Amino acid sequence: MKKMVDLLSSPILVTIILGSVGLAIPAIDAGRREKGRDRNRLYSAIAFGALIVAIGIIIFRVLTGEVLPAVAFSQEVVVDDMFGSFFAIALLIVSIMVTASSWNYYKGRSNPAAYYSLILLSSIGMVVIAYSTDLVMLLVAWELMSLPTYALAGFSKRDPISNEAAIKYFMFGALSSAIIVLAIGLVYGITGTTNIGDSISALANLDASLMPIGLLAVALFIAGFGFKMGLVPFHMWLPDAYEGSPTTIGALLAAGTKKAGFAAAIRVIVLGMFALNLDWTLALAVVAVFTMTLGNLAALVQRSVPRILAYSSIAQAGYIMIGIALAPYSDQALSGSLFHIMNHAVMKSAGFIAAAAVATALAGYSLQNYRGLGRRMPITAIALSISLLALAGVPPLNGFWSKLVLFGAGINSGPIVEWGPWLAIAGVLNSALSLGYYAWIMRKMYMEDAPDMRRVKEPRAIVAVLIFAIVFMVGFGIWYTPLLNFASSAVPDLTSNITQASTITGGEGLRALPGGSGS
Amino acid sequence: MTTTGFEGIAINAWSVWLLPFIGAAIIAAVARAGHRVRDYAAVGFALASAISAATLLPLGLEGAEVHSQIPWISSLGLEAGVLADPLSIIMANLVAWISFLIMVYSTGYMHGDRDLTRYWFFMLFFIGSMQLIVLSDNLLMVFFGWEGVGLASYALIGFWYYDRKKDYVGVEGHIAGGIPMWTSPTHAGMKAFLMTRAGDVMMLAGMFLIFAYAGTFGFVELAEDPAWAFAMSQQNLLVPAAVLLFGGAIGKSAQFPFNEWLLEAMTGPTAVSALIHAATMVKAGVFLVARIGPLFFALASAGAFSVEQFFEVIAWVGAITAFLLATQALVNPEIKKVLAYSTGSQIGYMMMGLGIAGLSVNFVEGFTAGFFLLISHAIFKASLFMGAGALLHGVGSRFMSDMGGLRIHMKKTYVFMLLAGLSLAAAPVITLGFWSKDAVFASVLESGYTFSTPLFIIAVVVAVMTAFYTFRMLGMAFFGKKSRHIEEMEHRGHHVHDAGPRMWVPYGILAIASIVIGVIGFVFEADLEHILGEYLAESFGIQGGEEASEEEAPVTIAPEGDRTWFGLNPTAAIASIGAFAVGGALGYIFYIGRHVSPQIISRSIVTRAIWKFLYNRWYLNSALYWGAVIGPLAIYRFIWRYFESTIVDGINPALQQSMSYMSGVVKAGQNGITQTYLFVFAAGIMIIVMLLFL
Repeated sequence: MKKMVDLLSSPILVTIILGSVGLAIPAIDAGRREKGRDRNRLYSAIAFGALIVAIGIIIFRVLTGEVLPAVAFSQEVVVDDMFGSFFAIALLIVSIMVTASSWNYYKGRSNPAAYYSLILLSSIGMVVIAYSTDLVMLLVAWELMSLPTYALAGFSKRDPISNEAAIKYFMFGALSSAIIVLAIGLVYGITGTTNIGDSISALANLDASLMPIGLLAVALFIAGFGFKMGLVPFHMWLPDAYEGSPTTIGALLAAGTKKAGFAAAIRVIVLGMFALNLDWTLALAVVAVFTMTLGNLAALVQRSVPRILAYSSIAQAGYIMIGIALAPYSDQALSGSLFHIMNHAVMKSAGFIAAAAVATALAGYSLQNYRGLGRRMPITAIALSISLLALAGVPPLNGFWSKLVLFGAGINSGPIVEWGPWLAIAGVLNSALSLGYYAWIMRKMYMEDAPDMRRVKEPRAIVAVLIFAIVFMVGFGIWYTPLLNFASSAVPDLTSNITQASTITGGEGLRALPGGSGS
Repeated sequence: MTTTGFEGIAINAWSVWLLPFIGAAIIAAVARAGHRVRDYAAVGFALASAISAATLLPLGLEGAEVHSQIPWISSLGLEAGVLADPLSIIMANLVAWISFLIMVYSTGYMHGDRDLTRYWFFMLFFIGSMQLIVLSDNLLMVFFGWEGVGLASYALIGFWYYDRKKDYVGVEGHIAGGIPMWTSPTHAGMKAFLMTRAGDVMMLAGMFLIFAYAGTFGFVELAEDPAWAFAMSQQNLLVPAAVLLFGGAIGKSAQFPFNEWLLEAMTGPTAVSALIHAATMVKAGVFLVARIGPLFFALASAGAFSVEQFFEVIAWVGAITAFLLATQALVNPEIKKVLAYSTGSQIGYMMMGLGIAGLSVNFVEGFTAGFFLLISHAIFKASLFMGAGALLHGVGSRFMSDMGGLRIHMKKTYVFMLLAGLSLAAAPVITLGFWSKDAVFASVLESGYTFSTPLFIIAVVVAVMTAFYTFRMLGMAFFGKKSRHIEEMEHRGHHVHDAGPRMWVPYGILAIASIVIGVIGFVFEADLEHILGEYLAESFGIQGGEEASEEEAPVTIAPEGDRTWFGLNPTAAIASIGAFAVGGALGYIFYIGRHVSPQIISRSIVTRAIWKFLYNRWYLNSALYWGAVIGPLAIYRFIWRYFESTIVDGINPALQQSMSYMSGVVKAGQNGITQTYLFVFAAGIMIIVMLLFL
C-alpha cells in the first residue's frame, strides 16, 4: 500500500509555491493589461522572489537534516532525499540566475507575464524530476518541464531563427517523450509496476524470454533521456535550439533542463542497469568519449558565441558521462558527476548570461561583437573568461576540481576495468582541445580592438548575477570541500542496492515475476 | 589549547590574515567613494588586523597555543589552519604593528600618487600574505603566503613601472664586468621575482620530499610523529630536504648566494622598502628557519640521528652573507642601498644565531638570540628606512653626496635616525641593537661548536663595519656642509624641511621604541628567552636554560658559568663594545668630525683596488648576469634556431590543420535539416540497442 505523500516534503512545497506564483503572474497581468506599461521588472521580481523562497526551503531542510539520506528507491511517487535536493538546488540556482538576468534581458519584449510564468512551471518540472521515484510521476514532471520550454524557445515570435529552433526542439522533444512513454510501457508490461524500485527489482529477476524487452526498454530510456542530456548521437537538435532560443532560455536549457535529464538518467538507467546485470558501462563509455570529442571538435570552428557554448555543453555532458559509466567501479565516480553537474550549472549559466549581456548591450551574438570586450564591458568579459576557464578546467576554479574527481575516478578504476584510465585520458585531451575555442573567445575580448572602443553600460541585474557566478566559481575553486561533500552525500549508496538486487537474484528458480505485483 | 573551526579566540587568529585580504579585495570598490575614504580604509584594515593580533598577545605571553583547523583539500587529507603559538604571536604582532605604522607613513609619503589604489591593494595583499606565513599551521599554506609576498614584492618594487630616471637605483654609467649596474624599477622587480623564485622552487621540492614521507604538511603533525624523519634519515634524505627548505629561506631573506636582488629592490617606494625589504618579508626566511629549526633539532635528538650539517649550512650562509654585504655597504653612495646591504648583513646575523642554536648544547639561547635580533632589527631598520624616505623626499635625490648638513633643516629626522642608527651600530647598553647583537655573540661563543672561533671573528669584524657604515651614512647625510645639490635647490626657492607628522610620527615611535626597549634590554631578553624556552619545551620537548637547571634534565647542561656580568658574557660584551668603538671612531673621524678626508684611499693602489672590488659588489652581479641570463639565453637561441623553428614549427600547423579538418567534417553533418537530425536520432537508438545486446 502506498502511503500518503507527506505534505511538508520539499517537492510538494516547491510545487505549491512555484505553481501558485507561476499561475498568479498571468492573472496579475490580465488584471493590469489596460495600463499598457512594461511589467517585466515586476514579474521578474516576483518570480525571483518565489524561486529564492523555494531554494531557501530546500537548503533549510537540507541543513536541518529533515531530508532523507540519498536513497535510490522509495515506495512513494516522490521522495524527499539528498539526491533530489542536490539536483533541486543546482536547478533552482539556474532558474534564479535566468530570472534575475531577464530583468535586463527581457526588458521591452512582448508578453513578459507568460515568459516568467513558463520559467516557473518548467522549474517545477525540473525539481520534481529530481525527486521522482515513480516512472509515471517522472513522465508527468518531464512533460511539465519540457512543454513550457518549447514555448520559451520560440518566444521571439518575429525571429525566424527562434521559430526554427522551437520547431526543431519541439519535434525532437515530442519524439523523445514518445520514446520514454514506450519505454515505461514496456517496463510496466513486463513487471507490472511503475515504481522505479519495484520495477528494477522485478527486472533483476526477469524471465530469460522477456530479457530482450527489458534491454529494449533500457535502450529506449537511454535514447529518451539522452535527448535532453545532449548525448551523441541524440544531440543534433541541440546547437540549433540553444542558439535560436532567447539567450537566457539557452541558459535554462543548457544548464537546467539538461541537468534534469541527468537526474532522471541516474535514477532510472544507472540503477536499472545494475539490476539487469548488463555490461552496459562500455557502451556508455563509448557514448561519453564520442559526446565530448564531437562537441569539442564542432565548437572549434563556430563563429557565434551561444553556439560555441551549446557545443561546449555537449562536450561537458560527455565529461559527466564518465562518472556515470564508471559508477559501478569507483566510489568517487558518481560524486564526481554530481559535483560537475552543480559546477556546470553555474559555469554554463554564467556563459550564456554573459552572452545575453552582450546581446542586450551590443545587439549581436557573433564573435566579432566580442572584440575589445575586456575594455568595453569589463565585468561581463571577466565573468565570461572565468566561466570559460572553469569550463576548460583550469585550476583553481571549481571546474578543475570536479574534472579532477571525474578523471581521478577513471584512473582509480584502472585495476578493475582496463578502459577506465583511457576515459580519463580522453577527458584530459578533450579539455586541452576545448581551450582552443575558449581561449579564442578570450583572445577576441582582450587582445583585439573593436572599431568602436567606447565603454558600454553593462546591464545591472546581469552584472549582479555574473558577480554571484564569479564568487561561486572562484570561491568553490579555492575551497571546494563543502560542495564535494554535499555531492558525495547526494549519491545513493549503490553497493547496498547491488546487494539488494543480488540477494533477490541469488535464490534459485526465481525466474518468475515477483509475486504480488501481478502481470 | 586546540580549537577547531572558527570559534572563540581562533577567530581573532584567522582574522589577522583574512582582514588584510578582505581589505585588498574591496579597496578598488572603496576607492569609488573618494580618495580620502580609500586611504582611511586601507590604514583601517591594517589597524584592524593589528588589533586582532594584539588580542592574541596575552595568550602568547602565557605560552598558550591556539590551533584551529578546517577541512580544505579533503582528497589529500589537507586541512587549512592557523597555529598561534608564542613564536607566531610575537612575530604576528611585530609584523602587524610595523605594517600599521608604515601604512600611516605611506599616507604621507605616497600622497598624491596617481596609482594609490594599486599601492594599497598590494600593501594589504602583502600584509595578508605575510600574516599567512606567520600564522598558518602547515607548510603548504606557508607556501601560498610565501608566493603572495613574493608577488606583492615584485609588484611594489616595480610600482613606478613607467621607469623614470629618478626612480632608478645605481649610479648611471657604472659598468662592472661588462654589466650595467644601474637598474630600472621594472627590471629590478623582475630580477627580484626570478631570483626569489629559484629559492622557492627548492623550497617546494623540500616540502614535497617531506610530504612524501610524512603525508602531512602540518607543523604540529610533523612534530608529533617522528617516524617520517627517521625514515628519511635512513635514506640520507633528511638533511637534503631541510636544506632545500632552507633554499626558500635564503631566497626570500636575500642570503648568499641569492643576495643580489635585495639591492635592486630599492627601486620601490621607500615605504615599501621599509615594510617589505627591511622589517617583514625578508624576515620570512628567518621566521621559517625559526619554525622548522626546532622541529629538526627535536627530531634529531629524539631519533638519534644527526641534522648538524643543516644547522652548519644555516650558520655559515649567515656568516658569509653578513660579511659580504657589510663590506659592500662600506662604499655605496646611495642611502637606501646602504640600508639594504645592512639589512642583508643583519639577517645574516640572525641566521647565524639560529644556526648556532642547533649546533650548541643550549638550543634556546641561540634561538632566542636570532629571534631577538629579528625583532629589534625590524624595529630600528623600519625606522631608518622611513627616515631615509623622508630624506629622499626632502632632498629629491637618493645619493648621500647630495645631502649633507641636514641636521639643521631636518631636525626630527636627524634625531630619530640617530637613535635608530645607534641601535644599528649597536651602541652599548642603551640600544636594542646592542643587546640583541650581544646575544648572538654570546651564543656563538658558548656554543661549543668546533668552528665557533672563526664564526665569532667574522661576527666581530662585521660589527666593526656595521658601526662604520652607520656613522658614514649619518655623517654624510646630516653633518658637514650642505651639498651643491641642496644649495641649488635653495637657490631655486625650495627649502629642505622635515616631513609632516604623518611621516615622522611612525618612525619616531619606532626609533624611540628601539631605545626604550634597549634601556631595559636585558630584562626584555630574559623574558623573551623565558617565553621561547617554555614554547620550545612544550612544543618540541627541547630543554634548555632555566628549565634545564630547574628540572635537572641530564640531556643538556646550560653553561651558566661564563655569564656573570649582568648575565652578559664578558668576552662577547667586550668584543661588541670594542667593535662599536673602533668602527664608530673611524666613521666619526672620516664623516662626522671630517678630520680626515675619505679621499685618502685613492692614494694607494691597494686601497683603490679594494674599493673598486667592493664598489663592483665583488663582481657577483656580473657573474650572475653572465651565468644565469646571458649564457642561458645563448643556449635558448641555439635551440630555437635549430629545433623550434624547424621541427616544432613544422608539427604545429599540421596539428592545427588536422583539427580544423575534423571540425569541418563534424560540422558538415550539422546541416540544419530536420530530416537528417531525425535519421541520426533513429540510427542512434539502433546503435544503443545493438551495443546493449552484444
